[in-house]
Amino acid sequence: MDAVTYPDGKVISFINDNMIPLQVQFDIQPLSTDFNVKWTPTLITLDTEGKEHHRTVGFLAPEELIPSLLLGMGKSYLETDRFDKALTKLEKLLAEYPKSDSVPEAIYWRGVCRYKATDDPKPLKEAYEQLKAEHTSSEWTKRAYPYRLL
Amino acid sequence: MAENIKWETDIDGALKRARVENRVILLSFFNPD
Repeated sequence: MDAVTYPDGKVISFINDNMIPLQVQFDIQPLSTDFNVKWTPTLITLDTEGKEHHRTVGFLAPEELIPSLLLGMGKSYLETDRFDKALTKLEKLLAEYPKSDSVPEAIYWRGVCRYKATDDPKPLKEAYEQLKAEHTSSEWTKRAYPYRLL
Repeated sequence: MAENIKWETDIDGALKRARVENRVILLSFFNPD
């Protein structure tokens, strides 16, 4: 990450403009134990209280890191009930990085976010239908499978 | 465009900034070897 992805100009701008970046050695305590870090690179999205909402392990190229970070931000806002902010991040991911590996999960969580914001289950079914049509073999299509019945 | 990522190096400083600036934290564990 330090050799390829973190020096990338778009990555630098995105992280500095949108997040608080914290880099620590993998074995530093108590963080290593608290977050059960066993391999590097491990990237974790934390909310303002230090709670984890998203994690990736392994190298991510610049074109995959930014959408992964948007997904992490979206999940952080979703899981703290800030649905408008979550939707903004997920929609940005889907609009600007449509080929990213993060897209199927973003479609899934966007459906969940819309459902939680409105109590209308229709977005869950729409998420499944989009996943089935565009990402047939994704694990997120399988996870959304029950929503076909809504 | 910034030249480098402005990394924090301790969790307390990162949390303080996160609350003040209302931003999420990217916690990156690395292996220096």
